[in-house]
Amino acid sequence: MSDDRHPHPVPLAWRLLDRIEGLVAALWPFRSGLAVGRAFLLPAVLLVGLLLAGLGIMLEHSMHELSLATYRLKPEYSAANYLTFLERPVYIHVLMRTLLAAVIVTLVTITLAFPYAYVLVRTRSRSARKFLLVALFLPFFIGQVVRAYGWLIILGKEGILSTFLTRFGIDPPGMIYNYPAVIFGLIQYMLPFAILLIVPAITAISEEVELASEGLGARWPSTFRHVVLPMASPGIVGASVVVFTLTLTDFAMPEILGGGKNDFIANLIYDSFFQISDPGLGSALSIILVAVGSILVAGVFHLAGPGTLGVRGVRP
Amino acid sequence: MNGVSGERSKGIVLRSMVGLVVAMLSLPTVIVIGASFTAGEIIRFPPDGLSLRWYSELWQLDDFRQALWRTFHVSIICTLISIPVGTLAALASVRTRFRFGGLVRIYLLLPFTIPLVVSGLSLMTLFGHARILGQLWPVGVGLCVINLPFMIWSVSASVNHLDPELENAASSCGAPPVQAFLTVTLPAVAPGIITGALLMFILAFNEFLVSLFLTDSRTVTLPVQIYNSIRSVITPDLAAVSVLYIVIAVLAIWLLDRLVGLEIFLKSR
Repeated sequence: MSDDRHPHPVPLAWRLLDRIEGLVAALWPFRSGLAVGRAFLLPAVLLVGLLLAGLGIMLEHSMHELSLATYRLKPEYSAANYLTFLERPVYIHVLMRTLLAAVIVTLVTITLAFPYAYVLVRTRSRSARKFLLVALFLPFFIGQVVRAYGWLIILGKEGILSTFLTRFGIDPPGMIYNYPAVIFGLIQYMLPFAILLIVPAITAISEEVELASEGLGARWPSTFRHVVLPMASPGIVGASVVVFTLTLTDFAMPEILGGGKNDFIANLIYDSFFQISDPGLGSALSIILVAVGSILVAGVFHLAGPGTLGVRGVRP
Repeated sequence: MNGVSGERSKGIVLRSMVGLVVAMLSLPTVIVIGASFTAGEIIRFPPDGLSLRWYSELWQLDDFRQALWRTFHVSIICTLISIPVGTLAALASVRTRFRFGGLVRIYLLLPFTIPLVVSGLSLMTLFGHARILGQLWPVGVGLCVINLPFMIWSVSASVNHLDPELENAASSCGAPPVQAFLTVTLPAVAPGIITGALLMFILAFNEFLVSLFLTDSRTVTLPVQIYNSIRSVITPDLAAVSVLYIVIAVLAIWLLDRLVGLEIFLKSR
């Protein structure tokens, strides 16, 4: 039909497709949807399995102490690495520093991200929406190292802000290689994640609900507090969990902006592996980090549900 | 009480907060672009004149050029693996009623719930045992594993919006399974696949921590190379590399907007 040069026009694509159909039917004799579903799932399950396999090996390593004579892990099992974590105050101290950072970063990031997400959804101007989307995605698509480097240029000892302040006769305070710099860098890094997770929750709120609240005489701050915020709570929960866990496990910001004096747990893990070459201790710290993170997230989900993080399953 | 003044104060509060966030989000990008065009040896404000010298010097550094190609190499491997694996997994996990469906979905989210530093070390340990460290393809595989939920997520969103009756219609009109899949299912979920593939590429291109664990001096990729080159003295050559990242990010955003529209992220799920 489509090709009138041939008397019996069967397009090549059709013939090819028939071959493939035959081949698939021969290779895959199952008719049930369940078997197809399992086959579709298998590659992803295997790929994620790599992660679990590696984690299994790390769990095994974590139960062997490093022998200082041979610099290898001793063959016998022991809890020495976990005891080291509990006995040395530095580890608990760093864990507390990391947890505190995670709390601060989560609170500030959500506070800043919420109005942004709200305006992004509610604005009537197409160009404003586009601008806000691009401003959001540009840093999201630029990695942590590049962004940390940008902050080094701005906040560094000979950085732009210092030079600027000096010009006005102000002695610049140390703005880099301290805890606030790490927190600041992390907030900037987390903002896109938080906004993207809050947005679906705000989209789901009908604008008429807000109008109704204002029509009944509520001022906008009350409408915001009593209507918008509670209705957007799935987004806030989802965003908080993601920002909290990403901060809890971050490596690059404390490494680059912290100047070696503001390490997080991830930096300790790195140092155990590559500075003191003790994979047993590093593995134990990793397992502890996974456990602390999982317990906290499970607690939040138990109290508040999975929020916008919930993956929707089969339709009812 | 309400009315005009209420609207105005709401506008002022929201606008100033959004302005603050836009400034925070954009400042490093703007500064890095500005710094890359300086003519001087160090970054200063105001700059010692404008030039493109750092771009040309950068191009002559073999280390950086090779790291750039390696980064493309691993990102492409990561994307090519994730497209079929993620698409099939998304179709199956949304459509098929498994007995342990909830568990399967939690399992597939593991790369998000395991901290990146632990994922990186666990893959390093595993690949070390398998004696495949020091090559590029395992890096691509590793980056694919840690970001796979992004692909599954994007495609799942499309699958959720696809009416299964369309595929039923195709089969009852006589389309065999493969044809129905290729001509009805795939085109319908294509926006999700495109979004996911772009995310996978850009995230692999940027991934620093896992790349740090999976590469060595012969296979170092660009994010790691930048990290290794950050010194306390800030030289403009790194700014020029960073601009390359910005250009690629802009390209990705443009493509995403052209192919599926950025507004896809504003949908409620």
